[in-house]
Amino acid sequence: MKLKLLAIVAILFSSIGYAQESRTITGTIMDPQEMPLPGAEVKVIDKNIFDVTDFDGNFTLEGVVTGDKFRVTFLGFQAQEFTVGETNDYIITLQEDAATLDEVVVVGYGTQKKADLTGSIVTVNSEEIERTPTTNVMQSLQGKVSGVQITSVGSPGDSPNVRVRGLGTYTDATNVLYVVDGALYNNIDFLNTKDIKSLNVLKDASSSAIYGVRAANGVIIIETKSGRLNQKPQFEYDGYTGIQRAQDVVKMANAEQFTTMAYESGSEADVQYILNAMQRFGRSRVNPNVPAVNTDWYEEILRDALIQSHSIGVSGGGENVAYSVGANFISQEGILDMKNEYERFNIRSKIDIDVSDRFTIGVNNVFSNATKYDPENAAWFNAYFAVPILPVMDEQNTAASPVRYANAQLLGYRHTQNPFPVMRYNENRLKIRKLLSTIDLQFDIIEDKLDIKTTYSHNFSALEERYLDLPYTLGNNQQTISGITRENNTFSNQYWDNVLTYEDTFGDHDLTLMAGTSFRDEASNEFEATGRDIAGIRLESSRYLNFADPDSFNNNVGEIGRRYYGMSYFGRLSYNYKDRYLLYGTFRADGSSKFTRDPWGYFPSVGLGWVLSEENFLSDSNFVDFLKLRASWGKLGNDNVAASAGSNTIEVITTTIGDQPRTGITSTSVFSNNTWEVIEERNFGIDVETFDNRLSLTADYYIRETQDAILPVYIPIVNRSVDRNSGTIRNQGLELSANWNGTIGDDFNFSIGANFTTLKNEATQIDDESGYIDSGSAEFRQRTMEGGPLFGFYGYERVGVYQNQAQIDADPVAVENNLVPGDLIYRDQNGDNVIDDQDRVILGSFLPDFTYGGNIAMNYKAFDFSLSFYGQGGNQILNRRRGEIIYTQDTNMDADLAINRWHGEGTSNKYPSSAGMRKAWNQRLSNFWVEDGDFFRIQNIQLGYTIEQESLPLIRVYMTAERPFSFFDYNGFTAEVPDGVDRQTYPIPSVYTVGLNVKF
Amino acid sequence: MKNKNIILSRLVALFLMISLSSCHDKLDEQEGQLNTGDLDYTDTEEMINPLIGAYHEFATRGWEEPLLLGVRGDDVNAGGLGDQQQFADTDRYNYSRDYWMYNSLWNVHYNDIINMNTAILQIENFQEFAEGNDIERGDQYIAEIMVLRAWFHFNLARVWEDVFIITSNQPEAEIEEGPSSKAEVMQFISEQMDLAIPNLPDARPNERTDVPGGVTQYTAYAIKALAEQELENYQAVADATGEIINSGKFSLYPDFYQLFKKPGELSDESLLEMQYSDYGSGTGDDAFYGEFDVFGPENWTPVRENASPGWGFYEPSIKFIEFMLDRDETVRLETSVLFTDRGINELREAGNTDLPAFVSNVTPSGDIINDFSRALFSSGKHYLPSVQLTDQRNRYSAGKNMIVIRYAEILLMYAEAVTRGASATAIPADEAVNMVRERADLQPVSGVTSEDVMDEKFAELAMEWGIRYYDMIRLDNYGELSYGGRTFSAEDEYLPYPQAQVDALPLEATAVDRNTVMNKVLFELN
Repeated sequence: MKLKLLAIVAILFSSIGYAQESRTITGTIMDPQEMPLPGAEVKVIDKNIFDVTDFDGNFTLEGVVTGDKFRVTFLGFQAQEFTVGETNDYIITLQEDAATLDEVVVVGYGTQKKADLTGSIVTVNSEEIERTPTTNVMQSLQGKVSGVQITSVGSPGDSPNVRVRGLGTYTDATNVLYVVDGALYNNIDFLNTKDIKSLNVLKDASSSAIYGVRAANGVIIIETKSGRLNQKPQFEYDGYTGIQRAQDVVKMANAEQFTTMAYESGSEADVQYILNAMQRFGRSRVNPNVPAVNTDWYEEILRDALIQSHSIGVSGGGENVAYSVGANFISQEGILDMKNEYERFNIRSKIDIDVSDRFTIGVNNVFSNATKYDPENAAWFNAYFAVPILPVMDEQNTAASPVRYANAQLLGYRHTQNPFPVMRYNENRLKIRKLLSTIDLQFDIIEDKLDIKTTYSHNFSALEERYLDLPYTLGNNQQTISGITRENNTFSNQYWDNVLTYEDTFGDHDLTLMAGTSFRDEASNEFEATGRDIAGIRLESSRYLNFADPDSFNNNVGEIGRRYYGMSYFGRLSYNYKDRYLLYGTFRADGSSKFTRDPWGYFPSVGLGWVLSEENFLSDSNFVDFLKLRASWGKLGNDNVAASAGSNTIEVITTTIGDQPRTGITSTSVFSNNTWEVIEERNFGIDVETFDNRLSLTADYYIRETQDAILPVYIPIVNRSVDRNSGTIRNQGLELSANWNGTIGDDFNFSIGANFTTLKNEATQIDDESGYIDSGSAEFRQRTMEGGPLFGFYGYERVGVYQNQAQIDADPVAVENNLVPGDLIYRDQNGDNVIDDQDRVILGSFLPDFTYGGNIAMNYKAFDFSLSFYGQGGNQILNRRRGEIIYTQDTNMDADLAINRWHGEGTSNKYPSSAGMRKAWNQRLSNFWVEDGDFFRIQNIQLGYTIEQESLPLIRVYMTAERPFSFFDYNGFTAEVPDGVDRQTYPIPSVYTVGLNVKF
Repeated sequence: MKNKNIILSRLVALFLMISLSSCHDKLDEQEGQLNTGDLDYTDTEEMINPLIGAYHEFATRGWEEPLLLGVRGDDVNAGGLGDQQQFADTDRYNYSRDYWMYNSLWNVHYNDIINMNTAILQIENFQEFAEGNDIERGDQYIAEIMVLRAWFHFNLARVWEDVFIITSNQPEAEIEEGPSSKAEVMQFISEQMDLAIPNLPDARPNERTDVPGGVTQYTAYAIKALAEQELENYQAVADATGEIINSGKFSLYPDFYQLFKKPGELSDESLLEMQYSDYGSGTGDDAFYGEFDVFGPENWTPVRENASPGWGFYEPSIKFIEFMLDRDETVRLETSVLFTDRGINELREAGNTDLPAFVSNVTPSGDIINDFSRALFSSGKHYLPSVQLTDQRNRYSAGKNMIVIRYAEILLMYAEAVTRGASATAIPADEAVNMVRERADLQPVSGVTSEDVMDEKFAELAMEWGIRYYDMIRLDNYGELSYGGRTFSAEDEYLPYPQAQVDALPLEATAVDRNTVMNKVLFELN
């Protein structure tokens, strides 16, 4: 019934008749290189006259009259309007799309004209991301999109941390939803940058609400490249190779500084170890009071690492079929000098078939086969605290085999310290195979107005992990026996979407209605087994559990499976009146088997826009080319949290009774009964284009509130935290971006872009009697308080260091606590002349208050140059490596700490004395440990040269420097630490590559 | 053409409706989680499982727990100089409430109390479906767990004075009640034992066949005696220990040295013991070990190669060794202390020139203890000779049990109670002391005084669970604790509440004015 009605309405509006002298015009449409553009659409405005250019770019419009306007559109090019004049033949050159308003933007389950958007969506095109040499496409987005914070990772093959508009959940479930050609992913490490056509970041709730319960942390819709009908095949090769090098390597205290610290510490044992080292390894010739060994552990464990990538592809299309196929190989070594590398081979194909005028079929397959060798991150930590008076190798350590690595225990230290055994005797191999397979059928029920599309996709991942422990001894009776741990995980996620779309234009009204359903079936299976004492472990061919001691499997085999279902109904309305007034609304009802209490959630959204530049009072303005105000509101859910545990859970244990193993059970007594987190967001935006569309400005302000936030409520005595819906988290911020495109003369054009983002992250309400939620360890407390940021570092504010006895005597706090010169002075926050737990404050958050980025791109004749930068400020980092001194006091420290320690009046007002570092007073969490994380970085510099000659294919050679320079004060390798706690963060290397691109 | 389309669309719609409604039903399915609801409570064979779980929790201790419970006595010092500075500070009575060990001891102990309570509830679930003997069996299991639970409360009150009594697994209400005074906790323990005793087997723990080494009546009497001793209620101590002595079931294991090694496991002397083993198998992760590494010397030459050394965190004091030398102790000194050459030199320099031959860096089992910087000596009671390790197992003291309460302590508690005026309920005090001395190859004494008994306890029970320290603070004998440069005063008796707990406990606890230290702390916070 409904369909019929729609059809009648459609017919009414589309066949408004008229009688005037009509004629036929023809034309050719070309790109700026004067190549014909097949498949471009040509439509007479307000009339049902329409054509698509043929293989040679020709079109014909019948029945037009002089004065008619027609519009030429082609994806990737600026649409243009022409008025039918005297001539009957038109040669039209389309300009490539820079940032045009007729650009079509991908939205959830459909597309929309950019000019019609009421929400906040940013599109990043392929050329912007291709400059970054990386295995993970998200890395290349860093600094490019305001409101999206990317924290880099250093280890090859790992995915960077991505946050859209702050941190709205306390749980680990902070994953952005990636929609790759319609299939849903939490991780897109299997995609090759070259295969991506565009990334569309749906930032506000109104844009992403159509994805309902999965959209809480933002949605990024990714389209892979496809071919076009009637397109000549185009081949492309793109490859680069280069090296990666650690930057800003932390300078550690050398043997002399370390010895000084040990003598000043007041610990006899520490002095003894120095003497032991001199006895074992001799005395330094320069300073005979220092051991002869002076190891720079970071230098020892670092290396220059290679990276290379090669992609080939071809795309094109005939009358009925368009295709795009390609393959990519990428390999990257890690800068940690062990078996630490990533290698991925991808093949993909995307084929679109016009079965009939109304019926199309699309198939899309991406298969990715990767092998990753994970680093032993403990090596970073060991290298920090390993003493510099220990060499890598110690020929006297004859008990160490197969390699005579030095062992710090032989000098008296508690730990073996040397990072090399963990690096050499461990191998962590992950084979990651992922398949995305999609088929969609689309049928036009009413041509150009009503269509139905059904899509089935299956993404299947198999993760085969093998962790190898090679046997070794290290002297001092340190022995590790061989072992293999296997973890096999499979993930099988199926999605079935059905979408009905109705589009129509009548008079000044433009309407799109969409309704759909989505069914999700997400299943996983994990199998794990550990075997020890492997026969022939040195040979790759014996590295199977079959060669393990069968007894060693006891208690070492496990399997678990999970399966969650989801069912959703959704709809979207977008309406525009005279291109001036815009209305947008979506609704989604989501059901999830995860929530036993109430499986259904409802997520509405609405958006409004007003294009002022279309109004009479502005339409004649020469200055303002485009001006739009936007406002939107929407609700999202987060089901990516632990499923409810509806009752007590039990665990089977084995213990010793009468020298026999006996099994029994233990059970937990706390349980949660959770429902999803609900995110409500308001967004206000403005878009301006001016200076003949050369300058475009966009500003957005948002308030994003997570209600029913799941917080781990600590239950004292039980000493367990239970996840409960018990708080409200708010993120708000301003996002600005500006772009300028300019041309000077014929040969030189340039663009400049900049963006700036602020973020205020706050827990506005906590439904716990205490009013706060603690996290971190008791020694390194992070507290989420009402009115404060999530996971704020919570401790004392250091105001300086006691310099002399007079200062001590004058301060009752110092006297009370038996302090001495060289101890830290803390601020007495409440002014009660006592320093106690009530003087603790939030010292800061790991989330930056602001981030900014920018880029400059220039073309001069055959040269092209681009530079981008990125920075952030206002975030804090817990220097957890330094904090390790709380647990083990006799180890090494960085040179900054050793040199700038207090060692006499006036020597430091920042760090305590060597002896002071061992005192509980100074070990309290304070901003001695918590440092500013501000940084500024030159993100990417690229210089290219294009060779364009008739006889040759189009060749471009380029050089790239990725992250060549960083500027920060933090005492670590990098100020990019995903959760702000820097214990063993893998350093982010700089990358220098040369590349070649060939098209024909 | 039009018609065909309409039919087709309707067909599509129909297909969608049918398949979507079947998808809908999937929302009620849950996979991959084991809940207590999955247990079959009607199968009373399974009723013992929560009890075994409780023994598992009891034996699962953090390495810092015995260390922190025991380090403050004059029998032992913190080793590990330069490492764990605040542990050494604690040994010297300088306490920091931020120190992680305090918080961990509190948390792990209370968490286990909750686990005990949950295990009791599980057994009660089984009892609902059980009949006859099985109900009684359930009562026995519950009584066993009550005894273990009492031991946790006992430790907490000894360390922090006023603590919470927790008997449920949803303790919000009990936390609201606020903490109880130490005396109330001890009283509670004593009463709990009275409730448990009738349901427990009348046997020595090693006589039990269902759970060898499990709790019996006599374990409950022992805990009751310990609690009453803290209350200085000596008659009750004599009564409870008298029950154990009069049962005639217990005797001292003849070889003091091997009592703390594998041969002495679950001996007739043992009243409560944490059990560990690797079952003689060289591989497999079902081995269940105690945390002895912290006690071991950092450097040694073991007889069995590749046996790992320890961490050197627990050092018998020179005061203790000199005390033993003065008494001409032999087997007890040799058993309690692992000597290093460096330590022996220290002893000589302190004027002990005439050292007996057994004072050497070679243990009776042949392991050579090399010098290490952290400490001069290590505890011999936490040492398993390397030759007693299972082949291929290298961890320090791997598979050795940890005795918690033994008959020698009962005898000496009894003797002390009697010398402090309690009427003898079993043997005379002299006899009890002499039984202990006889095994130590010492001459019998007569007319023992309380001081004699305290000396005997010092010699017999040094390094074990802080017995010496808690005796000294019970007797306000601060002089003994002021040794080696330390000064002990009344305010040093108890540890401060861990900062994390002060932060976490609801302030409502202050509403109940019970004049406890904890409430004072919480009040100040307000």
